[in-house]
Amino acid sequence: MVFITAQEILETVHMIRSENLDVRAITMGISLDDCSERDPHRTAERVHAKIVRRAGRLVAVADELQEKYGVPIVNKRVSVTPVSDAAGCGDPSGYVAIAHAMDAAAEEIGIDFIGGFSALVQKGFTKSDTALIEAIPEAIGATRRVCSSVNVASTRAGINMDAVVRMADVLLAVAKRTADDDSIGCAKIVVFCNVPEDNPFMAGALHGSGEPEVSVNVAISGPGVVRNVVAAHPDASLIELADLIKRTTFKITRVGELVAREASEMLDAQMGIIDLSLAPTPAVGDSIAEILQVMGLEQPGAPGTTAALAMLNDAVKKGGTMATSSTGGLSGAFIPVCEDTAMARAAADGALSIEKLEAMTAVCSLGLDMIVVPGDTPRNALAGVIADVMAIGMINGKSTGARLIPAYGKKVGDWVTLGGLFGEGPVMAVSTSGNDAFVARGGRIPAPLQGLTN
Amino acid sequence: MRSTVIVTALGPDSHGLLARVATTIADQNANIDDVSQTVANGMFTMIMFVSFDQSETTMAELKDALARTGDEVGLQISVQHENIFRFMHRI
Repeated sequence: MVFITAQEILETVHMIRSENLDVRAITMGISLDDCSERDPHRTAERVHAKIVRRAGRLVAVADELQEKYGVPIVNKRVSVTPVSDAAGCGDPSGYVAIAHAMDAAAEEIGIDFIGGFSALVQKGFTKSDTALIEAIPEAIGATRRVCSSVNVASTRAGINMDAVVRMADVLLAVAKRTADDDSIGCAKIVVFCNVPEDNPFMAGALHGSGEPEVSVNVAISGPGVVRNVVAAHPDASLIELADLIKRTTFKITRVGELVAREASEMLDAQMGIIDLSLAPTPAVGDSIAEILQVMGLEQPGAPGTTAALAMLNDAVKKGGTMATSSTGGLSGAFIPVCEDTAMARAAADGALSIEKLEAMTAVCSLGLDMIVVPGDTPRNALAGVIADVMAIGMINGKSTGARLIPAYGKKVGDWVTLGGLFGEGPVMAVSTSGNDAFVARGGRIPAPLQGLTN
Repeated sequence: MRSTVIVTALGPDSHGLLARVATTIADQNANIDDVSQTVANGMFTMIMFVSFDQSETTMAELKDALARTGDEVGLQISVQHENIFRFMHRI
């Protein structure tokens, strides 16, 4: 019997009631390996049936656990096998049909997003990959819940620059197609380097080829809890602060571990991973930028931001690693602009630039995330920004991603409101220095020495 | 099957708070196994270990009843399964 102190009980209650402690997402990963048919419309039917069959109880189970433990479980989601691998279809219209089937299944089981409309093309394209990428604008434009991700780079393969350019074209096409909603479609597309196979966070979740038939992955959260701990110790040295953050993320992660264990058992699925990412939302007090501010920076983007973020990210991982043996996913602090109110404010004030965010990407998770750029950003400029983010991931042997929104018809300084968890933010400037000749070279940036680890 | 939950009640102090919460729990056929209560600077803080047989009441019923009492007497009352507290702070 574990003894519980009154102080621990009150601390737990306070973290939930006053500091926005929640479980950010329970994401069920489902293999679609057995759904492929010659006729893609038949494949779509099987995809729909399998998602509904395996994840039909996901929301009910999450609600039950939320009631039992009093911890909000904010998002319930599903990720599937990268659809280009599962479907093996050479016809873009077939992929659009599968996207509609995923959308309908997600609606039927009561979830807001489903991920895995994806392809892994870091070394090259199969016919199936080409067709899926061609289908993304229509698939994303015509559905509400489907999220897409394409892995264009890895430490072992290098950067497929042809894929980077294609994805820049895809983003511009999706931005135009969803122009009436501030190009929100682009918020559902991630371009990855070293994509994790077990990431529970949207929009980049997919169920990789090394995963079991069905798994349950849990994303922890708790920027508000960490913020308050840091704010309560204004005189702590950085080493003391790191210790306080570690202790806090240990507790947050234990909640994730408890929920993952019980949810996987109740859903008859293998327990997957706990993602140790601190993920902000637009709610005040649920912000990574606010943590940086209470650490002593006036705004994110101030000199020292990258160092502060590096310490935060490292402390989160150290605390989390002690709390679970099942780490995975992205596991690092997220630095989205639109989804983090204080980050968006810093960008609007000119304190935070894309170039600074790029530096921050080198020491934390994901990368250039939820960043709105002008709608008339040239294709090659967009490709260059994506390639830079991929290079950071490739060289550092980590996952990086780009979720860029070239908001159609918007100019630098305009304000874009995406709504809900996507939040809002300013249109940020992209360097106008030309890169056409570099991008036109095409081909692949070779794998770096870091990939030769054997 | 018997379950143990932890009930926490926080709010401004007034007469009879413990009695009101305890009565609600008794009305739900649940048992108070342990209780600690303090008042500091006018703030009432109470922690109860409450067990019940699921054939007699459910966690949802207990929660609803305590939420109504909390509204009446000005307390924020949480009801959570004990495992979250056992799990969160130690391996």
